[in-house]
Amino acid sequence: MSKDTYDESAAAHGQCMLNRRQFLLYSGSTAAAASTTTITLFPGTAQAREVNARVVGYPRTFLAKLSELKDNEPIDFNYPDNGKNASCILVKMGGVKAGGGIGSQRDVVAFSYLCTHQGGPLQGSYQVTEEQRTLGQCPFHLSVYDLRRHGIIVSGQAYQSLPQVMLELEGDDIYAVGLMGLLFGRNENLMNV
Amino acid sequence: MATNYYLPEDKVPLPPKHADVLTTCCDYCIVACAYKVYRWPIGSGDGGVKASENAFGIDFPSSPLQDWVAPAQHNVVMHKDIPHNVIITPNKDATTVNTNGDSSIRGGIIAQKCYNPKTPTRDRLTSPMMRIYGTLQPVPWDFALDVAAEVAKHVIAKHGANAYSVKTYSYQYIENTYAISKFALRHVNTASFTFHDTPSDVTSTPGFRDAGFDNFGPSYDDWGSADVLMCLGTDPYETKTILFTQHIMKGVQKGMKLIMVNPRETAGITYAKKMGGLHLDVYPGSDTVLLGAIARIVVENGWEDKEWIEKWVNNKWESDSGFGQGTRNTPWQWRTTWGKFQTKGFKDYKKWLLSQPEYELAQASEITGVDAEKIQKAAEWIAKPKADGSRVNTSFGIEKGFYWSNNTGNTNAISSLATICGAGGRPGRVVGRFGGHQRGGQRGGKLPRNKSPEKVPGRRRRALDTDRWLVSGHTRMAHVIGTTWIQAMSGSQGLQKRFQELVVTNPHQVRSHDKQEIIETLKRRADSGGMVVIDQDIYLRNPIGAQFADIVFPAATWGEEDFMRANGERRLRLYQKFYDAPGDAKPDWWIIAQLAQRMGFDGFDWKNSNDVAEESSRFSRKGRKAFHMVKVYAHQNGRTLHEQMRLLGADGIQGPTFINDKGELKGAKRLHDTTMTAEQAADLYGENGPGEANIVTKKLTHFNTQTGQINLQKHPWSLFSDFWTWLKPKEDELWLSNGRINEIWQSGFDDVERRPYITQRWPENFVEIHPEDAKARGIESGDYVMMYSERVAAHKDTLLGVQNDHFQFDELMKRGHIELSKAAVTAVAIVTPHVKKGVLYSNMLDTRQPSNALTARVVDHISGNYNYKMGVAKIAKLGASKYKEEFRSMSFAPRNIA
Ligand code: SF4
Ligand code: FES
Repeated sequence: MSKDTYDESAAAHGQCMLNRRQFLLYSGSTAAAASTTTITLFPGTAQAREVNARVVGYPRTFLAKLSELKDNEPIDFNYPDNGKNASCILVKMGGVKAGGGIGSQRDVVAFSYLCTHQGGPLQGSYQVTEEQRTLGQCPFHLSVYDLRRHGIIVSGQAYQSLPQVMLELEGDDIYAVGLMGLLFGRNENLMNV
Repeated sequence: MATNYYLPEDKVPLPPKHADVLTTCCDYCIVACAYKVYRWPIGSGDGGVKASENAFGIDFPSSPLQDWVAPAQHNVVMHKDIPHNVIITPNKDATTVNTNGDSSIRGGIIAQKCYNPKTPTRDRLTSPMMRIYGTLQPVPWDFALDVAAEVAKHVIAKHGANAYSVKTYSYQYIENTYAISKFALRHVNTASFTFHDTPSDVTSTPGFRDAGFDNFGPSYDDWGSADVLMCLGTDPYETKTILFTQHIMKGVQKGMKLIMVNPRETAGITYAKKMGGLHLDVYPGSDTVLLGAIARIVVENGWEDKEWIEKWVNNKWESDSGFGQGTRNTPWQWRTTWGKFQTKGFKDYKKWLLSQPEYELAQASEITGVDAEKIQKAAEWIAKPKADGSRVNTSFGIEKGFYWSNNTGNTNAISSLATICGAGGRPGRVVGRFGGHQRGGQRGGKLPRNKSPEKVPGRRRRALDTDRWLVSGHTRMAHVIGTTWIQAMSGSQGLQKRFQELVVTNPHQVRSHDKQEIIETLKRRADSGGMVVIDQDIYLRNPIGAQFADIVFPAATWGEEDFMRANGERRLRLYQKFYDAPGDAKPDWWIIAQLAQRMGFDGFDWKNSNDVAEESSRFSRKGRKAFHMVKVYAHQNGRTLHEQMRLLGADGIQGPTFINDKGELKGAKRLHDTTMTAEQAADLYGENGPGEANIVTKKLTHFNTQTGQINLQKHPWSLFSDFWTWLKPKEDELWLSNGRINEIWQSGFDDVERRPYITQRWPENFVEIHPEDAKARGIESGDYVMMYSERVAAHKDTLLGVQNDHFQFDELMKRGHIELSKAAVTAVAIVTPHVKKGVLYSNMLDTRQPSNALTARVVDHISGNYNYKMGVAKIAKLGASKYKEEFRSMSFAPRNIA
C-alpha cells in the first residue's frame, strides 16, 4: 500500500465498520477513489469492502465543474437547502491535499460559512499561509479553522469543527452529498426551512 | 460517545418548555461566565423548533449570537436517580462578565464535564479505595476514613504536625477551601501546607503586595476602558477569553491600543497587531529588563505622572511610617531587609533607575531580544503626554508567563512602571492580575509560619517549602487534594523519584484484610522514614493517585453540590447543584469533616454546604471578596446565604459587600478606588460611614500599605541575573517556556483527556518551534521530538540562610545545595513562526509528557515561588508521528493568522 493512496491505517482506528461520514473523517484521501454510489473501505487491505455510500436524506446538489475551479478562489453556494444558515464555501486549495478532499490532488473541499461558535460569518476569510489553508479569524471572536483537517479549530472558541460538506466527483461535476457536523443555528441539518 | 474519537453529530435535542432552568457559572477559568442548565427527564418530550415549543423561546434555525445548542452542549445525567437530559449553554441574560451570553471553547462545552458512564467521564472516582496487596480496591467510607484518621493521629503525635503535609487546590469553591484550611491550619496546625501552584504558602505576586496593589482590584469594565493596555505574560484571548472578547476587544474597537509582552504571537496578539497594537517579543525571564528600559525612557523624558506621584507615592518618611512595631511586621519590610528594594520616593527611584546599566536601551534590547525601536515606542504610548498636555489612560495586566519568570523582579518592576504612569486606582487606569483559575479560596486558619524550620537571611522565617521538605524525608503523611502535585511542580521527575522511594519501595505495604493490621502497617511505614499518601480527587491521576496513593477519597464537584466562588473582578455567584454526584463521591468539605471528627477535632459537624459557607463568611470580612454582608442580608430577610446567592443569579455581586443605610445589599466595583465620591461611598455603606456589621478596609479607596499610598520600589536585575545567565541557552540549547493553550486552559484538570473534540485537537503534548530553529535541527511539523536537558537545577536542602546572599543562586550553587539532574520529555513538533526564534513552547501540564520536568526546581529566593516558565532544552527529532500524514487530529496551522 503506497502512502500516496492510503494515508491512514484502518487498524489504527480499530474500526472496520464505518458509516459514510465517519469514513470520510477518518480516511481523508481515499475518498477520491470512490465512485458516486459505492466506496471502498480500506482498499488493499484484508478489510477491504464495498459499502453503500449514499447518505440518507441529504440532497445531491450540483456545485461546479472541477475544471472551472481556480486555485484558491472560493465559490459560494447554499447547502443543504436555501434556508437560513446554509451558506457554504467550495474551494480548490491549490494542490494542497486535505481530509475529505476530492479531485486528483484531493484539494477540493467545501465547508459551512457559519462559525460554529455563535454563527459568525466567515465569508472572505479564506487564507493561504504556506502549506496551510484556513478560514478565519471570525469577525466576532477570532476563531480560525483548518480546512486541511476537516475544519478542526486551529485556535478559537467554537465547540466543534466547521461542518464539512461531503463532495463527490462524477466526471468533471462536483456534487454536494451530505454534511459532517451540525450547522450553526439548526437542531438538525435537514429542517423544513 | 463510546470512544475518544470525535464523531461530529448532526442533530441535538432542544430543551422543552417544561425543562427546569438553573443558573450556574463555568467551572474553569478566572472569568466565570454565566451559564444556564436546562434539565428535563428523558422521555418527557423534547422542545420543538418554534418559539412556543422550546425553553429558549426563539425560532430555529436561530440567528448568529442567539441561543443555539451544539451537540457537545447536551448530556444525560442522573437527577434524583432518574435519567435527565441536560443542555448547558451560556446565559444570554448575563449583563456582566459574559455579556450577551458569550463563551469560550472550554466553558462552551462544559456539559461534557458531567459524569455519564457512556462518555470518557466513565472513570470518575465513585467509591473510596485503599491499596491492598498493591491494588486500589473499593472500600466503604467508614473503613477508609477510620484508617486515614488513625494513621494521621499517629503521625502527628509521633512526628509532629509538620510531618502531616497538606497539598491542596486553592480555588475549588469557598466551602471546600474553608473546610480544608480550617482542618490543616487551625486544627492539625501544620506548617507543611501549600496550594497546587506553589511549593510554599506565599504570595504569588510579591511586587504587587509590597507596592500595595491587590491582585484583583480592577473591574472588567476597567480593562476595556484604557487608552493603552499593556498585557504581560499572557494572551488574554487564549487564557481568559471572555475578558478579552467582551471587554478588551470592545475597548480596542473603540480605539484602545494593546501592547502585548509575550514570546509568542497567538490569536489575541495577532488581533492586537492588526488593530494597530504592539507586540514586544521578550525572551523568557527578561521582562524586568524590558520594563526597566521603558521606565528609564519615561523618566528621562519627564513623562511620569507627576500629580499622581506627588499624591500617591510614599516618600521616605511615609514608607517608614506605621503604628506599634512599624512596618517591620509587614512582608514588605522583611523582604527589604537588605535595602535592595526600598526607595525614598520618586527622586530616589529615578536616581537608582538611571544608574542601572542593563536598563539602558541598547543593552536592554540585547538582553530581551526586543527591537530598541519597539521599546521606545512602548514608552511613548504608555506615558508621553498628549499635545495638549493631558495624559493617556494606561492600564497594566499581568499573568503567569510574567510573574512565574523572575517572580519578585518582574512584579516589582511592573508595580513601579504602572505607578509612574499614573495607573493604579482610577477607572481605566488600573493595574492587576488578569487571573488564572477562579477565586474560591477562603481561609479557615492561619499558616503557622513560626513552625517552619526555614529561614531566609534577616530575621524572618520563610513559609515551609513542601517539596524540599518532602525530598528531605520529613513528610510522613501527604494529604493531596485535587492536584497532581508532582507534574504541577518544577523539576518534577526528581520529585517523582522521591515519592517512589518514600512510598512504593518502603517495605511496609498493606497485605492484610484486617483494619487494625492495615493501620499498623501504615504507621510502621511512616515510622520507618517512609510516607503514607491520601489522595482526594475526582479522577485517579497518575502517578499521585494511581501509583502512590494508599487511600483514595472520591470527590463530588461542580454541578454536584451547591458552591460559591468569585471571579477575577471579585464577582461572587452560586454554582448550583443540578445532578447527582457519581456513586459515593462526596464534596471535599464533607470528606474533611468526616476525617476531622474522627481525629477528635470539634467544629466539623456541618449538615450541608450552606452551613460551611455561613460559618466561613466572617473570615472573609477583610478580604477582597468579603461576602459576610450577603449572609447578614440573607438572614435579615429570612434566607440562607446560598438562597440569597441563588437570587442574585447570573450577575451575582462583587465583593467586598456592604449593606447601606437604606438596607440595600451592595458590592464594590473596584478596589483602590481613589476617585470614589462621598455619594458613591454613601451608596455603598451609608451616609454616616460604615455601620452595623459593615467592615470597610483601607483597600477600598487606598492602597494596601501603612499609609494607604504606594511604595515605589526598585527592581534590580542583579538579584536574578546570576540564575538567568546560568540558565540561558548554551550551545544548541533553546529556551523552553511552557504554559497552556486556549483550547485547554484551566480545564485540563478533568477534561483535556475526556472531551473527544479537545482530545482530537490536542491528542498529546506539543512543542512549538520557530522555523529557523527547526530547520537547523531537521525537524518538521508532525515529527516526534525529544526535549531534554542535562542541567535541570534542583535546590535540594531545607536550610537556614544567615548571610545576605545565602539564597542567591550563585551562592547556593557554590555551597553545593543545587543538584543538576536530567529530564526528558517527548512531544509532537509544530513548526511555526508564531513562537520567537530561540524559544520553544510546550504544554505545561500534559500528565503523560510533563514539560515542567525541564524547569528548574529552584524557587525565587525572595518570594519562594517557582519560576515555572523558564527552562532550557535541547531538542532532537525521534521520527515522524502519525499526525504528520493523517487529517483527523491536531493542526499545524500557525496561531497568528489574522
Ligand atoms: S473557560 Fe473562562 S472564558 Fe471560557 S466560558 Fe469558562 S469562564 Fe468563560
Ligand atoms: S462566532 Fe465565530 S468566533 Fe464567535
